[in-house]
Amino acid sequence: MIELQNVTKIYPNGVRALNNVSLSVPRGDFVFLVGPSGAGKSTFLRLLFREELPTEGHLIIDGKDVSDMPESRVPFLRRNMGIVLQDFQLLQRRTVSENVAFGLRVLGTPDNIIQARVQEALEQVGLSHKRRMFPDELSGGEQQRVCIARALVNNPLILITDEPTGNLDPMISYEIMQLFLEINSRGTTIIMATHNHNLVNKLRKRVVALVEGRIIKDEPGGTYAYE
Amino acid sequence: MLASLSFFLTEAVTSCRRAGLMTFITVSTIAVTLLLMGTFLLAATTTEGFLHRLQQESLVTAFLAPEASHADVNALKLRLTEFEEVERAEIVWPEAALRELFSDASDRDLLQIGLASESNPLPPTIRIKMRGSHDLQPLLTKLKGLSPIESVSYGEDAYRQFQGLSELIWLGSMLVILLLGLASLFIVYNTVRLTLYMRREEIVIMKLVGATNWFIRWPFVIEGVIQGIAGAILASLMLFLSYQFILARLAVLVPFFAIQVGFGYLLKLSVKLTMMGIVLGISGSLLSLRDLNSFCREPS
Repeated sequence: MIELQNVTKIYPNGVRALNNVSLSVPRGDFVFLVGPSGAGKSTFLRLLFREELPTEGHLIIDGKDVSDMPESRVPFLRRNMGIVLQDFQLLQRRTVSENVAFGLRVLGTPDNIIQARVQEALEQVGLSHKRRMFPDELSGGEQQRVCIARALVNNPLILITDEPTGNLDPMISYEIMQLFLEINSRGTTIIMATHNHNLVNKLRKRVVALVEGRIIKDEPGGTYAYE
Repeated sequence: MLASLSFFLTEAVTSCRRAGLMTFITVSTIAVTLLLMGTFLLAATTTEGFLHRLQQESLVTAFLAPEASHADVNALKLRLTEFEEVERAEIVWPEAALRELFSDASDRDLLQIGLASESNPLPPTIRIKMRGSHDLQPLLTKLKGLSPIESVSYGEDAYRQFQGLSELIWLGSMLVILLLGLASLFIVYNTVRLTLYMRREEIVIMKLVGATNWFIRWPFVIEGVIQGIAGAILASLMLFLSYQFILARLAVLVPFFAIQVGFGYLLKLSVKLTMMGIVLGISGSLLSLRDLNSFCREPS
C-alpha cells in the first residue's frame, strides 16, 4: 500500500528531516509513528499527502510513484486519503455537516448522495445531532470527530493523522482512538504520528520510531520506547 | 457538473455578501472605469455623428469659369444631377449672386452699380446638395477636373477642424480606455488578493481534502463576473442619465451641435460596457489566483 524507498528530505535551509528512510506499510496496517520533536514525523506524513516532495528516493502509494506525480494530480491523490491534523482545520464559517460534506463537494457529488453519506459519517462519529452547529460551538473532542468524519466520508484507503489527540484530555483521547481502531478494523490503513505513549503502549500496534530522520525501530505490537 | 456549478454560484454570492466592503470597492472601481470609458466612447461617437451630419448638410459650391457659356453651365448641371451623391444642383448666375451679396437694404446703391456695370466680377456657380448617406470625398474627386469647374468650396476649414477633433477624441479615448483598464485591473487584482489572504486558511483546508485549483478558483471567477456586471449596470445607468442631461444643456448652449445617438446605439454601448466589466472582473480574479500552490505554501 505505502512504500518508501530510500527517501531523503532536505529542506532549503539545509535541515535533513529524513535520511535514507525505507519502509513498507501493507494495506490495513495500523502504524504508530513515534519519536522526539524534530525527528521527522511530520515531514514523513507531509510526504505521504504530497505536501512535500522527497529530495531523494521514491514514495509509492497504491502502486503509484507520488514523488514523480505532477502538481495537478495531487488533489486526486488526496481524495483517496483522509487527513486528520492536530489543529482540527475545520472551516469555521460552515456547519458541521457542511464541513463533512466538503470532502464530497470537491468530487462534484450530487446533493442527495452527499446528504446520505454525511449523515452516515456523522453517525459513525456520534455527532449527527450536532450537524447544524458551527465548529466554535463544539468541544475539542467534538471538533476532532468532525475532522475524522470529513476524513472518512470518501471511504479513504489511507488515514493519515498527526497528533490527533494532542489537544485533548485522556478520556476524549481514548474515545478518539476507539474510533480509529474501528475504522482500521474495516480495512483502512492508518498512519498516526503521536507523542501519546500511554495510548501506544496500551494498543500495541506496529510502532515505527524515528530519531534524527532515521528509522531506529520498526516493531509489530511495539511500545513507545525508542531510546 | 450542475451540482458543482450550483455550489460555485452559491459560494460566489456568499463571498460577495460576506466581504461587503471589498465587493463595494471593486464594483465602484469597475463602475467608474466603465463610466469614463463609456463617456469617451459616446463623445467620440457623437462627434463623429456631428461630423457626418456636417458633411451631409454642407453645400458644395462649384465655382465655374467666368467665360463659361449658358449651354456649358446647363450641361454641367444636368451631368451633376446624375451623380448618385448629388440630391440636387442649383445654378446661381452672376446677377443672382450679386443680388445675394448686396441683399441688405443699405447696399442697394452698390447693387445698382453692380447691375449697371458691364463686368460683374462674380462667376457663375452651381450649388450642390448632397444625398444624406454619402461621403463627401468621392464627390470632390469627381468634381475635380470637370469642365468648366475652376474651384470647389465646402466649408473645408470647419470640416477639417472637426475631423481633427474627432480623430483626437478617438485617439484620446483609446488611450484613456487602456490606462483606465489597467488601473482598474490592478485594483481588482489587489482586492481579490486581499480576499484570498482573508480566506487563506479555508483554501489550505480545501486543498487538503482534494480540491483542485480550479475548484477553488471558480467561485472567485464567478464573483468577478458578478462584480463586473454590477459595475457595468451602474455605469450604464449613470451614463444614460448624464447623457440625456448633457444633451439637453448642449441643445440650449450649442444648438448646431444637436446630435443624439439613438437608443439602439446606447443599448449596444451598454452591452459593450458589460462585456468589458466581465473581462475586468475575470481578469483581475484570474491574475490574483494564478499560482495557488505557491500561495498556500507561503508562511502565514
